[in-house]
Amino acid sequence: MPKKPAMRRGKPDRGPDKKRRHGPRLPRAMRQALDAMGNGTSRGSDDEEVSDAGAEDLYEYEEGVPEEEARKNGRYDDVAKYEYEFDSDASGADDNVTSEEEEDENDDGEDEEKQIRILEETTGMPKEAFSAKKRKQPLELPSQPGDGPVTIHDLLDNIQGKPGYSKVRKRLQQQEKKTMVVAAPLPKVEREKLERAVTYKEANKELTKWERIVKPNREASTLFFENDVNLGVNTIAAIANKFEPRNRFEKRMNEITQSNEIMEAHRYDGAKILELNKIDVEDVRERQNRLAKMRSLLFRHEMKAKRVKKIKSRTYHRMLKKDKLKAASADFEADPEAAKDYAMKQELKRAEERMTLKHKNTSKWAKRILKRGLSVQDEGTRAAIAAQLQQNALLTRKMNSMKDDSSSEESSDDDEDENDSEAKILNRGKERILKVLEEDKEIPNSGVFSLPFMERAMKKQQEAAYEEARQAVEEYDDSLRKLEDDSTERNEDSIKVTGKRTFGPAKNLPKDVNKKQKLEESENSDSEYDSDPAQHFGNNEATTKKDVQLGTALLDDEQNGLHKSFDDIMKNPGPKTTFEVGMLAGDSWKTVKSSKGNGNSSVSGITNKSKLLAPTVVPNPKQRDNNPDSDSDSDEEMVEGFLTISDTKENYELPSQAELIRQAFAGDDVEAEFEKDKMEVLNEENPEPEKPALVPGWGQWTDIQQKKGLPSWMIKEHDVAKRNREEALKRRKDSKLKHVIISEHVDKKVEKYLARNLPFPFTSKDVYEQSIRMPIGPDFNPAISVSALNRPAIVKKPGVVIKPIQYEEVNPHQKPDEPKRVIQRAIPHPNAKKVSAKQSKGATSHKRK
Amino acid sequence: MPTEGGFLEPEDEDLEKTYRVQQESILKEVDLLSSRKPFDMILPVLGPYTIDYTSNGRYMLVGGRKGHLAMMDMLNLDLIKEFQVRETVRDVAFLHNEQLYAVAQKKYPYIYNRHGTEIHCLKEHGKALKLQFLTKQFLLTSINSFGQLHYQDVSTGEMIANYKTGLGRTDVMRVNPYNAVIGLGHERGQVTMWKPTSVKPLVTMLCHNGSVTAVAFDRSGHLMATAGLDKKINIWDLRKYEVLNSYPTWAQSLDFSQKGLLAWSNGSEVEIYRDLGGHNYRLYMKHRMMKGYQVGKVLFRPYEDILGIGHSTGLSSILVPGSGEPNFDTFVDNPMETTKQKREKEVHALLDKLPPDTIMLNPNLIATVRAPKNKEKTKKEIEEEMEEAVESAKNIERKKKTKGRSKPSKRAKKKEEDVLRAKRPYLEQSKEVDGRPDKKQRIGEEVELPKALQRFAKKPQS
Repeated sequence: MPKKPAMRRGKPDRGPDKKRRHGPRLPRAMRQALDAMGNGTSRGSDDEEVSDAGAEDLYEYEEGVPEEEARKNGRYDDVAKYEYEFDSDASGADDNVTSEEEEDENDDGEDEEKQIRILEETTGMPKEAFSAKKRKQPLELPSQPGDGPVTIHDLLDNIQGKPGYSKVRKRLQQQEKKTMVVAAPLPKVEREKLERAVTYKEANKELTKWERIVKPNREASTLFFENDVNLGVNTIAAIANKFEPRNRFEKRMNEITQSNEIMEAHRYDGAKILELNKIDVEDVRERQNRLAKMRSLLFRHEMKAKRVKKIKSRTYHRMLKKDKLKAASADFEADPEAAKDYAMKQELKRAEERMTLKHKNTSKWAKRILKRGLSVQDEGTRAAIAAQLQQNALLTRKMNSMKDDSSSEESSDDDEDENDSEAKILNRGKERILKVLEEDKEIPNSGVFSLPFMERAMKKQQEAAYEEARQAVEEYDDSLRKLEDDSTERNEDSIKVTGKRTFGPAKNLPKDVNKKQKLEESENSDSEYDSDPAQHFGNNEATTKKDVQLGTALLDDEQNGLHKSFDDIMKNPGPKTTFEVGMLAGDSWKTVKSSKGNGNSSVSGITNKSKLLAPTVVPNPKQRDNNPDSDSDSDEEMVEGFLTISDTKENYELPSQAELIRQAFAGDDVEAEFEKDKMEVLNEENPEPEKPALVPGWGQWTDIQQKKGLPSWMIKEHDVAKRNREEALKRRKDSKLKHVIISEHVDKKVEKYLARNLPFPFTSKDVYEQSIRMPIGPDFNPAISVSALNRPAIVKKPGVVIKPIQYEEVNPHQKPDEPKRVIQRAIPHPNAKKVSAKQSKGATSHKRK
Repeated sequence: MPTEGGFLEPEDEDLEKTYRVQQESILKEVDLLSSRKPFDMILPVLGPYTIDYTSNGRYMLVGGRKGHLAMMDMLNLDLIKEFQVRETVRDVAFLHNEQLYAVAQKKYPYIYNRHGTEIHCLKEHGKALKLQFLTKQFLLTSINSFGQLHYQDVSTGEMIANYKTGLGRTDVMRVNPYNAVIGLGHERGQVTMWKPTSVKPLVTMLCHNGSVTAVAFDRSGHLMATAGLDKKINIWDLRKYEVLNSYPTWAQSLDFSQKGLLAWSNGSEVEIYRDLGGHNYRLYMKHRMMKGYQVGKVLFRPYEDILGIGHSTGLSSILVPGSGEPNFDTFVDNPMETTKQKREKEVHALLDKLPPDTIMLNPNLIATVRAPKNKEKTKKEIEEEMEEAVESAKNIERKKKTKGRSKPSKRAKKKEEDVLRAKRPYLEQSKEVDGRPDKKQRIGEEVELPKALQRFAKKPQS
């Protein structure tokens, strides 16, 4: 039977005593005799510990008595006695010592009941008899005298009457009379210090328990706040479902919509709709008829459209268009809306035209016609092309000029309207050109062009142009069938067109040209060209015409050099060029000589004959003609350039005189110069210390002072500075490299790319610098790891509230290696909450510091 | 790696020499696709030609001195645009892709787009002689006839820097692909290296006794090849600034290939050298143009075994086995890129644009810990020095003086004074090392009222 500490509560003192007081077991008769002899003392020894010292000696005789026997007189009746015996037997304990001790322990509740039950069964007496006795027992026990501590008076009582007693008593009384000195309280500072120490200790304890939670979070490279969070965004259906009418209006609406009548009506209506599905035969027939009629109408309309589309008559279409236009114009005269719409449409068309240049001979049809040659075409086609070009001009014209069209002619002369008038002139000129084109071309018989040399020139020019075009086409067909170079072809075509057009306006527009002469000159200035890239690059007719105008204008004035040069180009646009074509065909270098009478057609390249796989890029000197807009001065220069090229085979290597001289004198003692340079740089970066000097007059009052020279501290300082400089020079990277100067200048702009201190988790500079050597960009890493490498310090969904950290009991034996990634828990652990719901608040605030 | 690069390898090293192998014999052996790549274009009229490739090697830009400009798609050998500027063209350079390119013309550099439309005229650069483009930084660099170096950001149009080299006119300029530092060769045999944030050159090297005619940098950025009029070609180790190898020849132009082959041109001859290990460059291939053709520029085509040659009468391209990088990383450069990829890449390149400050000799320096500004002595050092000083102060022998001035007590006192005097400067130093000014001082700094108000200030209790 296990001992239970609760059993001894009633008698605190006796327990340990009893344990000690085991003695050899005496026969009962002997014990009784002993009892009879010293009953009083044995009783007293139970109560008074003071006598323990004395009792120790008499151990066996006074105290070794088992209790039940010592208290036999009256305290234990037969039954009780019997019970003990019974108990010891029942427990089946081997040694008797323990069975005796169980006397104390049997007031345990369960055992009691058990025993009582047994007693009841064996004796046949009622249960109350045993239990009552049991209850009485503890009441008796504490009734022992002298429970308090032993005072000195108790001791005194014992020696009362002995010699010296009075003395002792007196002294005692004296002592008692003396007042007790209470210790002064600690000074406030000390007390507070202690308090603080204690508080600190406590706070420390409180905080350290957070360490396990906080530390990994601090060290984690990324914190995640993204565990499944319900942001509370619902579907529309869910929201609608929850809808409850709140204000009066809503309630009223609800009432109406939800009212029984309405619902009924709806149900009824629904039935009605279903009823409608039963259709009349009549109705169906009618509907079918109607549909059939519509279909037939549609078909007829389609047929008509087809027929109309097939009509090739121009007159018919013209009429149609006119009708349409008329209708439209009538329309938007009536209402401004339509007019606006029309304007918008027009604007759109203009923009489209500017973008696509659809009407500028870019269509397949136009190209084909131009390729064949305009002159071959019939009048109608030419007119169509002219119309198309006109349309293009109209559409691409500047908006301002459109407005100016309506204004008076005089205003166009103003300098302000230069651009507008220019556009206008161009347009007018173009119209006239087109008119001329439509007419059969004829050699003008008046003005400058009637001069015989001009006539000749023109004829020659035209012939040359046609001839060259034909040649070029043939050659292309022959040699460059594979290379379909649209641009060159187009160029060629446009040349032809321009060639024709060039002299058209001259006939019709001499006065005009004279009038606008100033204007033209201003246009030719460089700035104009810079500002207008379209003119620079485009080879449109506008610019072509302008050049021509310029030419004619100058012609009218005086035949200056510029014109001559211009004319020269027109006459024989390219010098004869001879060149070798080297190629790597098989095992030998072939040289192909080709000469062209005309620069325009000196389209050179490796011909078909060469079996080289190489493609050929063809330099196009004829581009000079394609860009007739280049300004006059540069033109001249370039013409010279061309001439020089053709005349002499240029030498690539030959440097200029100045360069030769430079090179010749460059190598003069370069090393000495470099050394000097280096010294300069060194002096600049590590300046030489100033020579020590006194302010004139100072310290020179006497001979002695002068003799002494400079003060020693000055000299010392100078020496130190000198030494420092030398050291600095030695420390330089280029100190040992004679031929190198490496700038030691510290770039402040670079400093912002350097780390000021060692970043947090690193303790060594080398380790840190090694760690950043690992590339984290997408160039060197797979896509997945890039995102992991560049993850921000905190990953969080927008709109998620980050709750304060919560304390969680952590198992100290848990392996710490798995990083705690998810800090926040949507549903906090119930236990954790219980443990420190209160604490967490204070502690989090600490953590957040 | 999916494909391996290879070189011409002779069966017997002693008898067969790789430089004896002619283009024709290579052509016979190579596959059909490669055999289409070499070509000769004879363009005799418009002068010596200079060339440039895009970084992915797909497009070639051709500039004739007399104003001929052409752009070609080298993949399908298409002419994209060809036109005449009718001005001197000194140099051509692609910007970040083939959509834009810069041309150094008679007076100014211009920027054209792929269709030959003039986009910009960069008047600030003046008469540029040479152009280079820094891809990662989007900087267009030019050196003009006055020896001025210009850096212009082509994405913002901002002129980043404009420095006078002060070393005369030069048209030798190359960018170091490793760190985007610009190398300039000068006529006094110097090579200077520049970055946009420093007025002075970062490094000035005396490379030749005559003027420098060509400079080229290896892809790794550690090797530099220079050619001078002193009939020398030097190969430099840029980490140690030392000559690794020197060859006694002239060269008009130099270029390193992606795989480290070094090509140089001399007259009508082109020679290609190969590193046999330990920077021991040996002649690998030789190519001779037609007599009288002066080679102006040699340039390896990226990601192809091809060397482009611009010469006085047109262009050529020859096969150089093992010159190009056989495996391209499509994230870096994609020769086959589609329009969409190109657009995507352009946007990415702009997003990843590096600021011009990041150009430095050692780009690995970025993000490292800053070195302490001036080397401060540690406390320990100061203490040691102080101890020494104290020792020496203690050992000063004093003159024996009369009239009780050399009493032991006096002597002891004097010694103490000496020691104190010796200590004082070190104590002050250590205070400075701590870096914290005195408390009093700080307070004094804080109370900085205007003079008129100072009399109203509370007087410090003392």
